[in-house]
Amino acid sequence: MSIMLLITHVSVWSKSFCSDVNIDARLGYSVGGTAPVGMPATIRKLNSYTLQPNFLIGADFTKPLDNHWGLLLGLQFENKGMETDAKVKNYHMQITRGGETLEGVFTGNVNTHVRQWMFTIPLQASYKICEIWGLRFGPYISYVVNHCFDGSAYDGYLRVGDPTGAKVELGSGDSERGTYDFSEHMRRVQYGLDLGVDWHSCHRFGAFADLSWGLNGIHHSNFKTIEQTLYPIYGTIGITYKFK
Amino acid sequence: MCKAKILLLIITCCILTSCFKEEPLNAECDIEKAYVHVGNPETMFFNASDSMVSVPYTDSTVIFNVRKQADVSAMAPKFQLTAGATISPDNGSVHDFTKESVNYTVTSEDGKWHRSYMVSFNQVIKTINDTITYNFESYELETQKQKYYVWHNERDDGTLGNDWATGNSGFNLSRGSAKPDEYPTTPLTEGYEGSAVCLTTCDTGPFGAMVNKRLAAGNLFLGTFDLTSALKDAMKATLFGIQFDKKPIKITGYYKYAPGATFQDPKGNVVANRVDSAAIYAVLYRNHDADGNAVVLYGDNVKTSNLIVALADMEYVKPTDQWTPFEISFNYQSALDETLLENRGYSFTVVFSSSKEGDKFEGAIGSKLLIDKVKVICTEEK
Repeated sequence: MSIMLLITHVSVWSKSFCSDVNIDARLGYSVGGTAPVGMPATIRKLNSYTLQPNFLIGADFTKPLDNHWGLLLGLQFENKGMETDAKVKNYHMQITRGGETLEGVFTGNVNTHVRQWMFTIPLQASYKICEIWGLRFGPYISYVVNHCFDGSAYDGYLRVGDPTGAKVELGSGDSERGTYDFSEHMRRVQYGLDLGVDWHSCHRFGAFADLSWGLNGIHHSNFKTIEQTLYPIYGTIGITYKFK
Repeated sequence: MCKAKILLLIITCCILTSCFKEEPLNAECDIEKAYVHVGNPETMFFNASDSMVSVPYTDSTVIFNVRKQADVSAMAPKFQLTAGATISPDNGSVHDFTKESVNYTVTSEDGKWHRSYMVSFNQVIKTINDTITYNFESYELETQKQKYYVWHNERDDGTLGNDWATGNSGFNLSRGSAKPDEYPTTPLTEGYEGSAVCLTTCDTGPFGAMVNKRLAAGNLFLGTFDLTSALKDAMKATLFGIQFDKKPIKITGYYKYAPGATFQDPKGNVVANRVDSAAIYAVLYRNHDADGNAVVLYGDNVKTSNLIVALADMEYVKPTDQWTPFEISFNYQSALDETLLENRGYSFTVVFSSSKEGDKFEGAIGSKLLIDKVKVICTEEK
């Protein structure tokens, strides 16, 4: 009897709790990179940046706490990918394959391709500035389900060991460049902070923009091949649809 | 919406570009070229082009070859260094090179790295004997890293030279974990007479596969191996030939050869019914072109260049597990110019390889060529 009462209570409470919860769907596109915070001097120039299929689809639930503040919980499926081509000078690299290691400093071009499909749960405080504009801020946690981090060093030269070591030229053809694949050293769990802005039209459709800043590197902390820790830092724009 | 977009764009641009720091100072400290200016280069050098020496990045010696009577008591060599590097003693300072070599230290632009070079003037002695013998008894582990073997030739005066080269340093790049005896070119203590050289076509491992250079043929040749080109343009890594002042007639020696089991193409695919074959040949060529520029033959033209004067090619190296003598005669395509010969205007190479197409990264892993007691028989002095 008392259990029935409790269930009834909970269900009534949850009904009343959920009665004012807003449900939004989001569809977005992200641009950004996995980059060191504070670029090392060895990275000289960005030759090119290629847009990747960084789509985001998700839904979130906002519980208003008062007229302005609310609490948001969401679930998103997104890709934080990047393809860059950078010019480096005396860039330390170490490649390990099948038990063989090649270490040295590279001067030339480095192409990097990153793909990270992940589920992300944001937990944010929302603040309604007016009927149209709102802000969001809070942490997120992601679980990466599919990832890769590969690329090549080309059109340059490697000094084996240190800058006084043997000089080995790398070309641009398939048989002349040094390729690498550090996918297996990538983390599954990422976390960080997200700042977002929402724009609501009078209809159900709206728009949003977010900046998400990763606080842990995309590789395991014991991975030292790339000297700098690479953080995922992405900006997203997209449209929202208000269900409720 | 528009504001947000602009904000996003600004943030992205900031992250991607604004953080580039000032360019770091150069860390390299190499002598790339060395040269001397003298009044009459002809009296000092056999060829004017000998007054400039290109220094491979792996070398720590700079040797100017000069005539025997050349006065090297006050020479002022100049050096082309990697950008920003400095040298001590001063670039172009005068030194006496008669008794010994002079040690130079190069310091990188950032001041953190140093390299030492021994600079010397080698008074070239005319080859005395009509038969030049290579017994391959003088070998040692390469001094810097002690990872692989290098061979020395014994000169007429008993000193040791560095005329023989191998691709072992290239193999070191791909299979750094290999022991000295696992390299493509190794000594064999029980040869035909004393030590022999063992050339084996080896698997270059995962790094080799990465660049479609899956095998390394064991090789040994008179010349220089330039590691700098080994990956980008492997044909340019083998610089064939040493200056030569004799007219070779034939080359003799002893060999054993066993081709490896499976022939593979550069992609690593098995080529059925193809048996690997070894290479034994020697080439004499003019080391200057018609315009007087110094010429070195590489992997891609050592048998085809129009500067070739004579070629001795065994063509088919019959597999055998017994020490078998070989004798190959030089086929002269044009007459030798005696004056040119006198002035070291010809270069000469002898090439041994466990896989003929090894320079194209084709062959059979495990192919083994043993070589001993090689003689280059030249015409008698008039």
